[in-house]
Amino acid sequence: MHIKDIKLTHYRNYEKLDLTFDHQVNVIIGENAQGKTNLMEAIYVLAFSKSYRTSKDKELINWDENYARIEGTVHKRARQFPLEMQFSAKGKKAKLNHLEQQRLSDYIGALNVVMFAPEDLNLVKGSPQIRRRFIDMEIGQIQPIYIYHLGQYQKIVKQRNHLLKQLQRRKTSDETMLDVLTDQLVEHARVIIAKRFIFLELLREAATGIHEGISQHSETLSIQYSTPLDVLESDSEEKIGKCLHETFKDNREKEIDRGSTLFGPHRDDLLFYVNDRDVQTYGSQGQQRTTALSLKLAEIELIKREVGEYPVLLLDDVLSELDRHRQSHLLDTIQGKVQTFVSTTSVSDIKHQTIEQAALFNVTSGTITKQK
Amino acid sequence: MYYPEPISKLIDSFTKLPGIGPKTAVRLAFFVLNMKEDDVLDFAKALVNAKRELTHCSTCGHITDQDPCSICSDGTRDESVICVVQDPKDVIAMEKMREFNGRYHVLHGTISPMDGIGPEDINVPPLIDRLKDEKVNELILATNPNVEGEATAMYISRLVKPSGIKISRIASGLPMGGDLEYADEVTLSKAMEGRREL
Ligand SMILES: Nc1ncnc2c1ncn2[C@@H]1O[C@H](COP(=O)(O)OP(=O)(O)OP(=O)(O)O)[C@@H](O)[C@H]1O
Ligand SMILES: [Mg+2]
Ligand SMILES: [Zn+2]
Repeated sequence: MHIKDIKLTHYRNYEKLDLTFDHQVNVIIGENAQGKTNLMEAIYVLAFSKSYRTSKDKELINWDENYARIEGTVHKRARQFPLEMQFSAKGKKAKLNHLEQQRLSDYIGALNVVMFAPEDLNLVKGSPQIRRRFIDMEIGQIQPIYIYHLGQYQKIVKQRNHLLKQLQRRKTSDETMLDVLTDQLVEHARVIIAKRFIFLELLREAATGIHEGISQHSETLSIQYSTPLDVLESDSEEKIGKCLHETFKDNREKEIDRGSTLFGPHRDDLLFYVNDRDVQTYGSQGQQRTTALSLKLAEIELIKREVGEYPVLLLDDVLSELDRHRQSHLLDTIQGKVQTFVSTTSVSDIKHQTIEQAALFNVTSGTITKQK
Repeated sequence: MYYPEPISKLIDSFTKLPGIGPKTAVRLAFFVLNMKEDDVLDFAKALVNAKRELTHCSTCGHITDQDPCSICSDGTRDESVICVVQDPKDVIAMEKMREFNGRYHVLHGTISPMDGIGPEDINVPPLIDRLKDEKVNELILATNPNVEGEATAMYISRLVKPSGIKISRIASGLPMGGDLEYADEVTLSKAMEGRREL
């Protein structure tokens, strides 16, 4: 799939922008603080309805304006359709094919995007939250219903944590409500965990081969789901649910004591091993980067497998962070298959033939011109 | 921008209404200035009377100008079935569809620990009392199908279950995560038919 064109209105430092893209590689060239990341972010927001940089939608609106709009034409499965996101003080609107969608899970997934930014190099080393976001976003765009479960789950965790705090401080003694929220929580938690297990199996299949390729057969990658729950990846949803119920029953006192929900998908993590050693603890920086790159490339393959077409790839400032070898591995992989947006301060940083055939764009303070 | 004080006060009052932003408020305020004085007086009276003369029914919690409300005092209605809703607007939506001939109980909210709202902060304890006194043998839980509405229904069902009263939940036909008041009448009546036992 690819994005044919994009229109921005009052989006961050873009007053008005109307661009037509190449269906292969587009390079966005500009000095610092000119708007490269803002453009990448706009494409991301068009796909996911929210930014990865901020949870406050208001920040996306130009400082001097009161609304922001992103419109794009997507080409997917030999069809073409418009997507539109609009943000204002009243909230956001998502339109798919001119129709406003009430549920974001009906919108997300229409355009598939994989983003690779320098922060993603922290996928292995960074906090568990980064890895959970990675897995959640990927499953979400392949299976939008996952986003629904995740959203419900997060709300219930919030409610349950408040109730546990009230029980901890003896502001209430009503444990019936705790039972209710636990039932509700498990209902969604078991679906989330089961779907993560299925996804992980697919990710493993794709990532290990890619990792072997990048490391020229010197490294074997393995991935594990880390959870204090007594579950196996082969367990059914029902079995996972039973285990969750037992865990919450056995730990009721402890949870009230801590005033917080201690088990569930919001506490789980992913572990990566290279040649049977934990990469997070023992891996060299190079091994960690190779792992992050393998995971990102695997993601692209997975979306292709599940959705039937390659997603759009966003490479914000990341190419210059990779060494020559990893850089060309990445560009070789996407060449001719994946519509890619590359941002850089200077094209000479990238030495690869794909760049020679790419469409080049120059950004200066919120205006973009195509190079001839 | 500068407006004479009576107009700014009027604009300010309009912005307190849901769905009305500053621009619409200005438009409405200037529209009022051009209305006939009698119409404006009627309008003002209607506003004040609606607030002053309406109370909550002491039996079911619905808004009413007489206590008990016309539904609770209607002898032709089936007093063995109570439909529990979140809001007076839900009663009106149900009544429009004319398929339900029992009585109501309006909770005026949902249980929500994060907002500090427990069961005793909404109309739950009077419901439990009502079930003890009256000849009720069926309870339909029609709270909104979002997280809090679901939790509130589950909570009530746990409290009532030991009494042996039949409990059902409006389950299908309603938009996921949506609000009851947005459901059109067709989906609502489907929802009534498809209620599942809890
Ligand atoms: N809501 C907003 N309204 C107006 N301008 C904004 C808004 N948000 C961010 N900006 C400005 O947009 C400019 C461009 O930011 P952007 O992150 O896109 O730069 P960049 O080209 O990616 O730079 P770098 O090479 O340093 O990553 C910044 O100067 C920032 O202050
Ligand atoms: Mg940037
Ligand atoms: Zn009444």
